[in-house]
Amino acid sequence: MPLADRLRALVGPDGVVDRPEALGVYDCDGYTLERASPELVVLPRTPDQVSQVLRLLAAERIPFVPRGAGTGLSGGTLPVGAPVMVCTSRLQQIESIDVANRRIVVQAGVVNAWVTRAVSKHGLLYAPDPSSQPACTIGGNVAENSGGPHTLKYGVTTNHALGVELVLPSGDVVQLGGAVEEQTGYDLVGVAVGSEGTLGIVTRATLRLVAAPEGVRTLLAVFESVEAASEAVSGIIGAGMVPAALELMDRPIIAAVEAAFHAGLPTDAGAVLLVELDGPAAGLDPQAAEVARVCREHGVREVRVARDEAERQALWKCRKRAFGAVGRLAPNYCTQDGVVPRTRVPEILRTIAATAARHDLTIANVFHAGDGNIHPIILFDERDADQVRRVLAAGREILEACVALGGSVTGEHGIGVEKIAQMPLLFGPDDLLAMTRIRAVFDPEQRANPHKVFPDAKVCVEARAPRRQVPL
Amino acid sequence: MTPWKEIVGLPFACRGEDADAIGGARPGVVVRPGSVDEVQAVVRAAAARGAVIAPSGLGAHLGIGAPPRRLDVLLRLDRLDRVVDHQPADMTVTVQAGCPLARLQETLAAASQWLPLDPPLPERTTVGGLVAANLSGPLRASQGTVRDLLLGLRLVGADGALVSTGGRVVKNVAGYDLSKLHTGALGTLGVLVEATFKVRPCPAREAALVVACRTPADAGDTALALRDAWPVLWLEAAGAGGLADGPGDGAAAIAGVGGIAAEVDAGRARLEAIVAARGLRAAFVDDGAALRARLARFDVEPAAAVLRAAVLPADVGTTMATIESAARAAGAAVRCLAHAASGVVRVAVADAAAVAALVDVLRPGVERRGGALVVTRMQPGVDVEPWGTTGPAHALMRGVKTALDPAGILAPGRHVGGI
Repeated sequence: MPLADRLRALVGPDGVVDRPEALGVYDCDGYTLERASPELVVLPRTPDQVSQVLRLLAAERIPFVPRGAGTGLSGGTLPVGAPVMVCTSRLQQIESIDVANRRIVVQAGVVNAWVTRAVSKHGLLYAPDPSSQPACTIGGNVAENSGGPHTLKYGVTTNHALGVELVLPSGDVVQLGGAVEEQTGYDLVGVAVGSEGTLGIVTRATLRLVAAPEGVRTLLAVFESVEAASEAVSGIIGAGMVPAALELMDRPIIAAVEAAFHAGLPTDAGAVLLVELDGPAAGLDPQAAEVARVCREHGVREVRVARDEAERQALWKCRKRAFGAVGRLAPNYCTQDGVVPRTRVPEILRTIAATAARHDLTIANVFHAGDGNIHPIILFDERDADQVRRVLAAGREILEACVALGGSVTGEHGIGVEKIAQMPLLFGPDDLLAMTRIRAVFDPEQRANPHKVFPDAKVCVEARAPRRQVPL
Repeated sequence: MTPWKEIVGLPFACRGEDADAIGGARPGVVVRPGSVDEVQAVVRAAAARGAVIAPSGLGAHLGIGAPPRRLDVLLRLDRLDRVVDHQPADMTVTVQAGCPLARLQETLAAASQWLPLDPPLPERTTVGGLVAANLSGPLRASQGTVRDLLLGLRLVGADGALVSTGGRVVKNVAGYDLSKLHTGALGTLGVLVEATFKVRPCPAREAALVVACRTPADAGDTALALRDAWPVLWLEAAGAGGLADGPGDGAAAIAGVGGIAAEVDAGRARLEAIVAARGLRAAFVDDGAALRARLARFDVEPAAAVLRAAVLPADVGTTMATIESAARAAGAAVRCLAHAASGVVRVAVADAAAVAALVDVLRPGVERRGGALVVTRMQPGVDVEPWGTTGPAHALMRGVKTALDPAGILAPGRHVGGI
């Protein structure tokens, strides 16, 4: 029996996609500079079906690529050398909510935003909040160790995933960690989170919930220059404050989001800082005053405070949908993800500006300034092949500059296929050997998401003209 | 003494004494390397000879885990004690493994920062030991544990290679996060030589509220009520006599409140309202940090053994009650003090003769509920398996050990299930 039919026998007739015209949807994720179609896509409905599917693939020694909602930004779901794609997007059960212990057990296909929605009536929330949170799934968040603006104070996925159910490439199911916080033995949850699907497929996760803060203050500080805004970021951190979020948007981004959302952002400003403070109400006004004072020290033009939740939401809409709004600036864009020590943000911004000028490109910046996690957005037109080459070169140069400043080539998007070539900038042969040895424990045949993350795994993928991106 | 004294110099290679033993395992030699190069040379020489190594710092927490099956070289890292790089505005610090935690905290305090990890004996706890034994204290309630603060490691692998994990920036998802694998591994996967942490601003003020409770179960419940009323800095629950000189001799819930003065005052008012609503009495403690340090010492106060039950936060009260009644039935004296928000109940057992029986009675129930009961300290003469039943992922853990230390020269037998 053909493989597709054997898979249909496991997951039902509507659980396998193999018509070429239907497979096009799966040929890339949020990283669109490279494309490859899988031969077939399997959509199991239960964790048990995932296990059965992997068992079948193991028997046939067929490599596979896991996929959630496909919102990843580093090509982690690009099917390279893996004919079968296994999507966890139909595993949508929220299995249990434990308010007293502040835990929730969800299946991998549960969308990030659903988690907080399910527990907000109990005064709880799920802290990691990537910009794609209305679409991205917990399985993908676990695979990528996703972050988001509020991770400055609350941490990233790895700080909130207490346990995962992992289906090994053999099809065997193993429970790592669990609802009890302190576990005996090696911290394999910590290894599985952020492993980008190279150890198997996560089907369930036990997540930690946190109490919603008593109060929130959201401030918008308007600066004449990006430099002044980024110096203010260092000033706020240096003053001993840990805001819930500290985000910077530069002039091109301000123009794009203002055109899209009409939130009243000053389009003549050099940069704006979005500062969110949360916690006990008693501490908010003093902290907000301190933030305003630091901003004044750095020549702030104006500090606006959101007066109510509607104003706060309007500001956050600008930030979280900024990537979408960029669609107005150019036919295409490529979002980079690098990290520098927070104090080096002014330097990396100067480097980005110089890189843009050198390659005759426009680069817009909207990023997690408090974490030093930059997201330069390189604008281009895919029809201009020379421009595409310059985009790739500029991205590489920016990442190399991040490493030279003591940073990393990815803060939250992952290595995927995009940044394999940059891994040796961060890790030497012995460092990478330790990782590949660990991989072999889980996946001795290297069938789980092959040719990802590790340099020696890279095979030649043809860089094809990217498709036009539509605003979210 | 050959080749050790050639590598580290004569004064830094000594014959092992009884005082250097881990459990019953006395090392043939104690070697104190003065550089990372020397650590690598020692590990290479050990690997070439098939000699078994166990890393150590100042020895304060070596009782955690099982003794190694054999011990040839105790690798004492106390000479690698520098704070390599503290960047206050980046809120990161890189420090060598042998640096005592108390000294690191002094450096950070100069910039009004701290590494918010508060195990007992910070003067005798090295950074390497902090990571390798995954030590924590009351602050874990709000600040997390080593895994939440550790950004990167440098370590010497079983083949002598210097391996880096993670990085020095606060956000980084490049490659596997192997720092977490070494956290709590007790040196069975590598010899830690340097760690980078994110640090945080110290709270301007820290106070505490000690609430006298009727029963251990009430203490657990009250603690969670306090947690739900206010973002507490730390949260402990004590069984009968758990708090040596607490209010009365009964159970208690103790909450730490931190922040600027206005926050501490508001927190106190909110918590006192909860206490009143529950018909309980509370004492306000101005110097919360001193009380916290005293509570952290519970783990190392004189006892025949200290057990550590990992359970769900909501089960802390009933777990303490179960332990106390099991102890009464066995005629043993115990004291319980829990990290209530984290579900970690520590039990000090006074009578050596009762330890094994208590563990046998308590362990199955805790394990059935997805937790673990680990013996973290025991006096000589107490003979009990410290770890308990291996979990479902044990085969993978054994695979990890074999992958990183195929010849089994790094403290074999120290970890769960004889890893």
